[in-house]
Amino acid sequence: MLIYALKRLGYVAVILAVMSVLIFWATQVMPGDVAQMIVGQFATDEQIRAVRAKLRLDDPIHVQYLRWAGALLQGDLGLSLMMDRPIGPLIREAILRSAVLAGISLVLVAGVGIWLGVFTAVRKDSKADHAVSVGMYFFISVPEFFWAIVMILLFAGYLGWLPATGYAPLSEGFWTWLKHIILPVATLVTGLVAHVARLTRSSMIETLQSQYVTAARAKGLPERIVIRRHALRNALVPTITVLAIDVGLLMGGIVVVETVFSYPGLGRMLIFAIEQKDIPMVQAGILTITAVYALANLAADLAYAFFNPRIRYGNAVAR
Amino acid sequence: MRWPASLVAGGSVFALIAVAAALGPALAPYPYDGMDIMARFLPPSAAHWFGTDEFGRDVLSRMLYGARLSLLMGVGATAVCLVIGVPLGLAAGYYRGGIDETIMRAIDLLISVPPILMGILILSMTPPNPWKTAIAVGIIYVPIMVRLTRSVTLEIASEEFVLAARARGERPWYILGAEILPNAWPPIIVESALRVTFAIMLGAALSFLGLGVHPPASDWGLMIAEARPFIVEAPWVAIAPGIVLCLTVIAVNLIGDGLREVLDPRLKRGRG
Amino acid sequence: MSVPVLRVSNLSVAYPAGAGWLRAIEDVSFEVAEGRALGVVGESGSGKSTSALAVLGLLAPEARIESGAAQFKGESLFELPEAARRDLRGNRISIVFQDPFTSLNPALPVGRQIAEPLVWHKGMDAAAAAIEVERLLAEVGIPRPREVALAYPHQLSGGMKQRALIATALACSPELLILDEPTTALDVTIEAQILDLLESLRRSRGVSMLYITHNLGVVARICDDVCVLYAGRVVEQGATAAVLKAPRHPYTKGLLASLPRVTERKHRLAPIPGRFPDLSAPPPGCIFHPRCSFVLDRCRSEPQVLADGVRCWRAAELAGERWRVEEGAIPARVGKDEGALVEVKDLAKTFQLGGLFDGFQVDFSRGFPLKFAPPSVRAVDGVSFSVSPGEVLGLVGESGCGKSTLGRMLVGLIEPSAGKIRIAGGSPQSQRRAAQIIFQNPDSSLNPRKTVQSIVGRPLQLHDLASGSKVRERVVELLELVRLSAAYLGRYPHQLSGGEKQRVGIARALATSPRFIVCDEAVSALDVSVQAYVLNVLADLRDRLNVAYLFISHDLSVIAHIADRIAVMYRGAIVEDGRTEDVLQPPWHPYTEALLSAIPAVDRTPESKRIRLRGDAVERGEAVKGCRFQHRCPRKIGAICETDTPPVREAAAGHRIACHIEV
Repeated sequence: MLIYALKRLGYVAVILAVMSVLIFWATQVMPGDVAQMIVGQFATDEQIRAVRAKLRLDDPIHVQYLRWAGALLQGDLGLSLMMDRPIGPLIREAILRSAVLAGISLVLVAGVGIWLGVFTAVRKDSKADHAVSVGMYFFISVPEFFWAIVMILLFAGYLGWLPATGYAPLSEGFWTWLKHIILPVATLVTGLVAHVARLTRSSMIETLQSQYVTAARAKGLPERIVIRRHALRNALVPTITVLAIDVGLLMGGIVVVETVFSYPGLGRMLIFAIEQKDIPMVQAGILTITAVYALANLAADLAYAFFNPRIRYGNAVAR
Repeated sequence: MRWPASLVAGGSVFALIAVAAALGPALAPYPYDGMDIMARFLPPSAAHWFGTDEFGRDVLSRMLYGARLSLLMGVGATAVCLVIGVPLGLAAGYYRGGIDETIMRAIDLLISVPPILMGILILSMTPPNPWKTAIAVGIIYVPIMVRLTRSVTLEIASEEFVLAARARGERPWYILGAEILPNAWPPIIVESALRVTFAIMLGAALSFLGLGVHPPASDWGLMIAEARPFIVEAPWVAIAPGIVLCLTVIAVNLIGDGLREVLDPRLKRGRG
Repeated sequence: MSVPVLRVSNLSVAYPAGAGWLRAIEDVSFEVAEGRALGVVGESGSGKSTSALAVLGLLAPEARIESGAAQFKGESLFELPEAARRDLRGNRISIVFQDPFTSLNPALPVGRQIAEPLVWHKGMDAAAAAIEVERLLAEVGIPRPREVALAYPHQLSGGMKQRALIATALACSPELLILDEPTTALDVTIEAQILDLLESLRRSRGVSMLYITHNLGVVARICDDVCVLYAGRVVEQGATAAVLKAPRHPYTKGLLASLPRVTERKHRLAPIPGRFPDLSAPPPGCIFHPRCSFVLDRCRSEPQVLADGVRCWRAAELAGERWRVEEGAIPARVGKDEGALVEVKDLAKTFQLGGLFDGFQVDFSRGFPLKFAPPSVRAVDGVSFSVSPGEVLGLVGESGCGKSTLGRMLVGLIEPSAGKIRIAGGSPQSQRRAAQIIFQNPDSSLNPRKTVQSIVGRPLQLHDLASGSKVRERVVELLELVRLSAAYLGRYPHQLSGGEKQRVGIARALATSPRFIVCDEAVSALDVSVQAYVLNVLADLRDRLNVAYLFISHDLSVIAHIADRIAVMYRGAIVEDGRTEDVLQPPWHPYTEALLSAIPAVDRTPESKRIRLRGDAVERGEAVKGCRFQHRCPRKIGAICETDTPPVREAAAGHRIACHIEV
């Protein structure tokens, strides 16, 4: 098991290295004249030259890359163009705020989604099952940015219950903070809950039809033990995989949600950076998010291996 | 043959929207960029079925034009996804070994970044353009299509009739085309329908973030983004395109479900 | 007379199918007397499992019990509330299912699963249950029970899993033990061990058994009484010895006549023609009449009732008559010295497991800790043999011995790692027309999207053997060879039965007029009656077309029936080969001896010598030092078996045995 973990970790490192090259290429090489792009259409030649010098864009590309990558490995994420401050601390603050948003949302998505999935699977083809299925159908079909707008319109505009912006620091009081964060979390959750619920439902239904569940019933065990001990344990394993995918979708959703609700997280910072053509910030931001996503996937892989006795204990055949 | 209700319902709604989109310019009562400052923020009325926006432009007309772009991005992206993804999946599933490993490692790379962020990465540094967005979204979904095609191909390639074909010396082209693909396309078709819904939504989201279409042209995503500052004063500007967007997605979802119902039993029956 | 442990009366169960209902079993009645074992026999689709599941109350929710009753020791089961029935399950009535690989929860240790009925029904606490679990595991013959109790299902072999499941079923000392095809998924040597175990458990515990199976040989071994099901109806029942020696219903006669037996080789098998009835629209009159060779007009209109243990009005009249037997023995191929058609020398194949990343191993014992040593399996390890034109060489071995790999190498599907293959002087790739293959699974061997004509015609087009309208003509000829009419041309695989699909596969293989066909378990997935039919077809083709076969199977009785020579394979190598009559007689390789004695034969006398192998897993992969059979050999003579490769000895002309024991 340890060896498996190390192998996966090595693999993550390789992926991050290759992604860094891709990110670098997409932001600094592909657009062509980066300096022109930064300064805009009406720039003078002098301004362009100044930018080129500042970012040392006249060096050969691989030197530029190595310089950037080298700095990264030492923990230096570079300098923000628009704010002229080191990026590291900026990202650290922003990522903490995004993490809060993501964390709460993920917990709710997992909890509500799994519960709904199991609930509808056990009551397959009942009225409750159909009602929930129809509901999930609609939830899946609404993109996050539209949910956000509708929520704002409804809760902030018409009902006036909740504020339209997403953030108030905890220092202003727990309830204030909560009121601000409810809408962004709700937006993020509605989209993904359906995803998890659907998958858990079908996984659970399949497990309930498996031979070992029938065998457990044949032992005379009461249904609740059959479901809890035999079915759930196996049915939830694919859910781990889905949650890993959802972390990625959540990250995408966070970019949108932070933008709409003006929540000062990493997502909104990234969008600003793009608008301002703050290339070092864009590079650092995307790479950070990629790293976090890769680690989340690694955690999911390890959890999956942990719960799968085949990987955890190997195949020593008793004779 | 009895068509399932979902297919009929979804198909008709989608057909309606698609036709409306195709005929856009002919149907639209006003040009999509026809500004009329005197007519700003008019609520829905007989003259303007969905009202007007901040520049006095007719929302319905903009929606019709926007339909073309949104649908184009959705369908175009899926087409790109299929054209690139299916052959790669077939190759990986059939040839296995080195080819399979290479393709899967490349796929692992592509999915190491979450979808919207990949879109941001590809599109942020260059001026927005619906074709580019469509291609980018297509590429973003290639890994999913490759994985699906690969797993279906693996399953079919292990069937004995494929082994029999290899044993009699058939060329790989024949095996892939005449033995494997005819059995593989049902799940691929069903997945494609699902992909269209995701592509439409991702395309709209990227447009919402300013990475899709260049103003004054607009698709539904950009319309909603532009309407955001005035959402309370003139909600119809955002709600109308939003609802149509959701309707389109629901319609395509229904089509996908209907296709699955139609194609699946044939698969099972085919297995004896 | 004591109350029967189980009495099922007039039970009918139906499932929804399409617009209506499909009656899976109709008016089924049987009894399990105290301390006795009842065998319920039928082919696939006969409804035998359905009756057992109905008794336990474990039918799928959509199933409907239309009528009938089931009584357990006088107590009516169907009227009990669910809680009371749950009390019975696993406690007084237990069941062992067919597939040990899917009947255990992969996420829980085995011991815990065995303890569940103890904890739940007997109120034991965890510690007491653990002790009892160990005792049970020892009782079912598992060595090192404590280790096994802590193991997870995937760490145990199939035989061990099934023993554990038997232990679970016996945990609360039930009065009735139901077994649903418990050995069907296991190798024949393992099956023999499990049957031994069941017999001894019956004696020691006195438990009554309901044994469901399709294998009449097993019934002969274990069951006192037998009940024969066909299409969901009881057609005959009675004491096993009586029914098997003097069957009264035509179906039972046909079933017995279609069994290949090691002792009665080379006579034509007598299959039951036709196919299984469509239960949603059963034929009028007697349900068996479309396939019966004693059918008269009355049979077509009058449904039969069960009278005196048999459902046939002609039973008394037909007593003593055997099922119609096709005349003529299968002629043996006299070994003419024409030179070998197929020659195989030192053939070997090693598979690598896992992908690129799995190849890296971390090993701190020697040198640099990170090594690239991908795990591998030696599927075939140095095999040599030859096949003469028109000869049938039977290759027998249990699962994992490499016989399929070997067969596939001969037709060029798998590249050998070492060794030479010559077919008619050329390599398999160059002789694609001369060497063909038939596969095992009828549901998988035909492309579901192609018609029969297209499937059989394709090889003709590929090799330019016919074109245009000639293709259709030739296809009709080929179908005729396998006894299928031209009506089949436009049909799709899903419209065909298992036997018909296999025959289409044979026709496809014959399209290029091959001289050599590899039959890779070609009849193993078919019901016994259909199997007989297809075997006859294959034998006829051999005679008419002078085709040679490599007939691969795990079933020695089938091979003994059709093969001129037999090769016995174990763990990648051939341990014995020679003419069929030589191999079936002593002297034997110890493995062959065990295989022969493991076959549950219908006519085997109870005192026949039983040779059992020790252990039950076939270890794969690691290179062997000494004899590859040493770990399980009941005749191991000592250290020499562990160190030296056994020499090949000639017991008779062309009869070779690889063993240290003197011939």
